[in-house]
Amino acid sequence: MDWLRIGAREKERGTTARMRTPMVLIGLAAASIAMFALNLLAGTSDLADGKLHDTFLALRTTRGLVAYLAGSALAVAGVIAQGLFRNPLASPDVLGTTAGASFVGKLSLLLLQATLTGGAVHHVLPELLLPLGCLLGALLSLLVLLAVARRADDAVVLLLSGFLLSALFLSLGSFVTSLAQESWELGRAVIAFALGSVTGAGSRQVAIIAPITIAGTLAAMLWSRPLDLLLSGEDEARVLGLDVTRTRRWCIAWTALLTAGAVAVGGNLGFVGLVVPHGLRRLVGVSHRKLVPAAALGGGVFVLACDVLARSLPSRTEVPLGVITGITGAPLFLWLLLRSRRSLLHG
Amino acid sequence: MAEGPAAMVTRGLRVALARRDVLHALSMEVRFGEVLAVVGPNGAGKSTLLRTLAGLLPYRGTVVVEGAELVSLSSVERARRVSFVPQQSSLTAALSVREVVTLGRYVHRPALSRLREVDHLAIDAALRHTDVLALAERAFSDLSTGEQKRVLLARALCTEARILLLDEPTGSLDIEHALRLFALLRGLATTGHAIVVVLHQLEHALAFAHRALLLQRGAELACGDAREVLSAEHVRTLHGVTMISGGAPSFVLPDEAP
Repeated sequence: MDWLRIGAREKERGTTARMRTPMVLIGLAAASIAMFALNLLAGTSDLADGKLHDTFLALRTTRGLVAYLAGSALAVAGVIAQGLFRNPLASPDVLGTTAGASFVGKLSLLLLQATLTGGAVHHVLPELLLPLGCLLGALLSLLVLLAVARRADDAVVLLLSGFLLSALFLSLGSFVTSLAQESWELGRAVIAFALGSVTGAGSRQVAIIAPITIAGTLAAMLWSRPLDLLLSGEDEARVLGLDVTRTRRWCIAWTALLTAGAVAVGGNLGFVGLVVPHGLRRLVGVSHRKLVPAAALGGGVFVLACDVLARSLPSRTEVPLGVITGITGAPLFLWLLLRSRRSLLHG
Repeated sequence: MAEGPAAMVTRGLRVALARRDVLHALSMEVRFGEVLAVVGPNGAGKSTLLRTLAGLLPYRGTVVVEGAELVSLSSVERARRVSFVPQQSSLTAALSVREVVTLGRYVHRPALSRLREVDHLAIDAALRHTDVLALAERAFSDLSTGEQKRVLLARALCTEARILLLDEPTGSLDIEHALRLFALLRGLATTGHAIVVVLHQLEHALAFAHRALLLQRGAELACGDAREVLSAEHVRTLHGVTMISGGAPSFVLPDEAP
């Protein structure tokens, strides 16, 4: 086109700005390696014991992997949710997605118990019941929220709805927890799941979370441009050629799957999907092409660091991972909130 | 003005918003090579018409875009043919101006592909044409409303759509940039684009549009050559004011000064 030829390419770009994202990614990759090394060393068990040395290392490797991948999954889910709802305060835990996944996850633990004792369910493999339950809960929660968001495109309404959904699912979850107390083992399993923990995570958990996180991160990368378009709102995105309905559907599916995967292997890990993307947005910007890989690395580092901390604190019993992510994530988010109050309020 | 082929044709176009009819059986046509100004008082249905033509609102009747019914086009096909510049963007995230304009290349780029030379050319040309090249690395949200409008136009130009819909593009522009915008739109029309622009300032419609569509309460009052249609009688009917010719000063860009 004639008017295209008139323009000449502007080559002078800010070198610092261009180099910032690769530097952040390299820094996060280095932090991941360092945290994995710390993960192998942290814990009360003695690595000097030659007989158990390899066993401890194997256990800590799988546990670290599960914590890292669950963190990545939650952070990427947070990025997608924030893009979908055009709100930096949206995240799986704030929107009630985690609580939904957790509630149905607890229900599925009850069902699992019934399967093992009475053979109530024959068509589903027992190990798939928990992830499937989490997925169902996450999907249910997101669909309800999306219906609200379409009726009232307002940040406050959205967040209040997420808060209500979260409260509802937590109450229902508490009811399920009380039902589970009839059996001592089931009661312990449900409480451990509710508090959030990767203790005892093994290859089965890796097999669940690894494909979900890898596929979810790749999908988020693939959908990064549509998510960028959605930053302008659905109408403008539609005018620029985006199939908004299809994008929305895929974003819900991946947010639900990533959240469900993380909840299934790590339980309720709060603040990860909120703090990590929000903190990284300040470093790499809002473009999803940069934000998604940074969140995948940053979420992993954050949760793994929390798990290392959980194992390192002087305590008779290990502090649940979900407690640590909450205790560190809440003040961190408050600090980020105060530093960028304007951008948050204007969503 | 050379008459080009039809870019967009509506027949019996009806649009209802909140169960209230906003457009009533509107039939109109815009051709390639022309600037069509849509004029009318507040609430006449101008923005609704543009949003409908952009594919954002459901309608009854027919809207044919380059020979194809609008609703039959996929999102990508529609965006390659029609681009729309809203009065104001909903974008609040801290994207740079260049990143915002790059969004206009969405329909031309395969997923995950890097920007190609042709994309860079299109982006830089659009930035230059709308006089925002110097702002390219600044955050869109930090710009004034007028600057943001120019960036939105650059984004629309980047789509390479040949039909351009603009909703009150000069609302927040200073006089120089308003004149430059109209010069750009006229230039685009001469290279074969079809331009539909909603205007409140009648003097702009008179000076820069080839044809004008006068809307009153969602129906056509008149449509035709801008200077003929924007008569004192029509202006009185539309706005209830008397048009006085020859009294007000007129402005031109320095390179167009006599």
